[in-house]
Amino acid sequence: MTLLRISDLKTQFPTPDGIVRAVDTIDLSIGERETLGLIGETGCGKTVLGLTLMRLLQSSTKTEGTIIYKGTNLLKISEAEMRRIRGEEIAMILQNPTTSLNPVMRVGGQIAEAIRLHQGLSKRDAKEKAIEMLDAVRIPSPSIRVNEYPHEFSGGMKQRVMIAMGLACNPSLIIADEPTKGLDVTIKSQIMKLLKEVTEERAMLIITHDLGVARELCDRIALMYAGELVEYATTGEIFEDPLHPYTRGFLGSLPSNGLVPIPGMSPSLINLPDGCRFHPRCGHATELCRRKHPDMIEIEDGHFVRCFHA
Amino acid sequence: MLEVLGLTKYFSSGLIRKRYLRAVDDVSFKIEKGKTLGLVGESGCGKTTIGRLILRLTKPTGGKVLFDGIDLFALNRRELLAIRPRIQMIFQDPDSSLNPRMKIGTSIAEPLKLHGTIPKAKRGQRIRELIETVGLNPEHVNRYPYQLSGGQNQRVVLARILAMNPDLIIADEPTSSLDVSVQAQILNLMKDLQKKFDHTYLFVSHDLDVVRIMADRIAVMYLGRLVEIGETGDIYDCAKHPYTQALLSAATVDGGKERIVLKGETSSPIDMPAGCRFHTRCPRKRERCTIEEPELVEVGRDHYVACHLV
Ligand SMILES: Nc1ncnc2c1ncn2[C@@H]1O[C@H](COP(=O)(O)OP(=O)(O)OP(=O)(O)O)[C@@H](O)[C@H]1O
Ligand SMILES: Nc1ncnc2c1ncn2[C@@H]1O[C@H](COP(=O)(O)OP(=O)(O)OP(=O)(O)O)[C@@H](O)[C@H]1O
Ligand code: SF4
Ligand code: SF4
Ligand SMILES: [Mg+2]
Ligand SMILES: [Mg+2]
Repeated sequence: MTLLRISDLKTQFPTPDGIVRAVDTIDLSIGERETLGLIGETGCGKTVLGLTLMRLLQSSTKTEGTIIYKGTNLLKISEAEMRRIRGEEIAMILQNPTTSLNPVMRVGGQIAEAIRLHQGLSKRDAKEKAIEMLDAVRIPSPSIRVNEYPHEFSGGMKQRVMIAMGLACNPSLIIADEPTKGLDVTIKSQIMKLLKEVTEERAMLIITHDLGVARELCDRIALMYAGELVEYATTGEIFEDPLHPYTRGFLGSLPSNGLVPIPGMSPSLINLPDGCRFHPRCGHATELCRRKHPDMIEIEDGHFVRCFHA
Repeated sequence: MLEVLGLTKYFSSGLIRKRYLRAVDDVSFKIEKGKTLGLVGESGCGKTTIGRLILRLTKPTGGKVLFDGIDLFALNRRELLAIRPRIQMIFQDPDSSLNPRMKIGTSIAEPLKLHGTIPKAKRGQRIRELIETVGLNPEHVNRYPYQLSGGQNQRVVLARILAMNPDLIIADEPTSSLDVSVQAQILNLMKDLQKKFDHTYLFVSHDLDVVRIMADRIAVMYLGRLVEIGETGDIYDCAKHPYTQALLSAATVDGGKERIVLKGETSSPIDMPAGCRFHTRCPRKRERCTIEEPELVEVGRDHYVACHLV
């Protein structure tokens, strides 16, 4: 069953230098128990896509298209209804823990608030639950730590508090923006195990630069470049048989392959290149690529690519 | 160049019954000019605290830091201010190290202005150069941090540091918000600049593939203590400490060595176990390990390990 279907989604920011086309005509759907990975270049629009789904962007932002969640278009409902959705249905684990946590409120209080709001627990039970959540994300001495403030936590510990808060309200869909950023390998593998358990009974959109995490957790993966999707397939297909030149270059630049970046610069999202947006950096670009913008086509069953020569 | 001797930091909490959190405990290491020391270890083991202590942003409980022979902890405010431009830290959390009310361009111009190295007329030019070196677009200059992505802000922080051209750079997860391709670009840039300007790096990272490429020597920390330090090749090829071995085995993606899965929980720095701090999880622990804390001993050329078994 499809839980979320995004069609023709566009998000644009007007700035004095021009309009930033951060999310440009995205179509995507997520099944009820599916984990979908969203990966791509820094600045390509992943977080903005997540924030658009949550309707958390400033009011000057222009959004078009539809976001159908359980039959309702989230772009059409009232702010009050949206608040309920954010509390009970969809949770987002934000990319930046330090600016997302309240610096003058105890860590436990912040988790407890997230729980209490949605589950109607007493203050005491909510605190118990907060301690449980801290333990679940592997914070040592959780019953002492629950009373501390964010600045007393290390970077990776704050990151894990964000995960605890995201899971606290028992949502149907979790949007996790770089959930394992700043975690060492041992704690990361424990957190991945936790996320795996959690996704057995719900859907997750996981935005990550960590290809190991994407490979281990996701059913399908969408590659994004300059505001649009360029490849979309099962995790196995993306890693074994990537078709888009960007995806190939991307996988080839893993540090274990030495330090070989994709040549050239990320494009401006105000003045996007004509034709294929990747053509200034693509080794296979032809005259056609410079002139015409390729559509996303299904090359094999369930494997979509936006490239003339894939 | 940089010499850290017996560096110690205990955080105290609790008003009536004081509790101590031993974040950094008697840590010593040296970094020669123009070299990189990689610092790795579990989330919460004290890496960021070491950086903050060197910068004197956190008050030490004990120990000494010598920078070019100058005892940093003995400096008065004026002397400290004079030496500060030579020591810079790239903070783990880019968003909170930028002033949210300052445009990116102004943020980068600030150090140029402060140190007056570049005449006013040339500053604009220099800012554009810096922006481009770190792979950003000129259109980003007039924006505020909230209008950039996580990885874009991380590179703004880097550009700011490069504007100051310090001798010692403490890089705390400098590429954690970047995709693999841009990460490769930035790491190459850091290596090139190191060659050109003889920068010294203390490089904190959870990505062991990255550390391997960047570091000349590696220091491994566990719960506030240094447990192993040596040349990069020696650490990767013949790690002696059971924690280092587990860390490296957890990082190997597929094939090769067998994974050593650590059982048990990380102990808490508030409630430190007696004897070796790693004994609660060590697959090779002996009775002696629960009683006596091992000291660092030399096991090879410039290779030190703190474990009773070596
Ligand atoms: N409020 C805003 N006003 C103008 N431009 C913005 C705003 N927010 C984001 N952008 C731009 O939109 C693009 C997409 O940003 P987004 O944060 O979604 O990137 P991302 O894919 O999450 O990158 P990262 O991996 O670095 O987090 C970026 O190029 C960014 O500069
Ligand atoms: N200001 C503070 N007050 C109290 N405790 C603190 C403070 N700063 C850090 N700590 C504690 O000191 C320990 C070490 O923290 P530190 O930030 O150095 O860890 P880290 O190795 O950088 O971890 P990470 O990889 O997660 O960033 C942690 O247990 C942390 O909670
Ligand atoms: S359409 Fe052309 S330029 Fe674009 S990715 Fe394919 S080959 Fe390269
Ligand atoms: S001293 Fe003992 S417990 Fe500690 S690492 Fe060595 S063998 Fe393991
Ligand atoms: Mg982002
Ligand atoms: Mg840290």
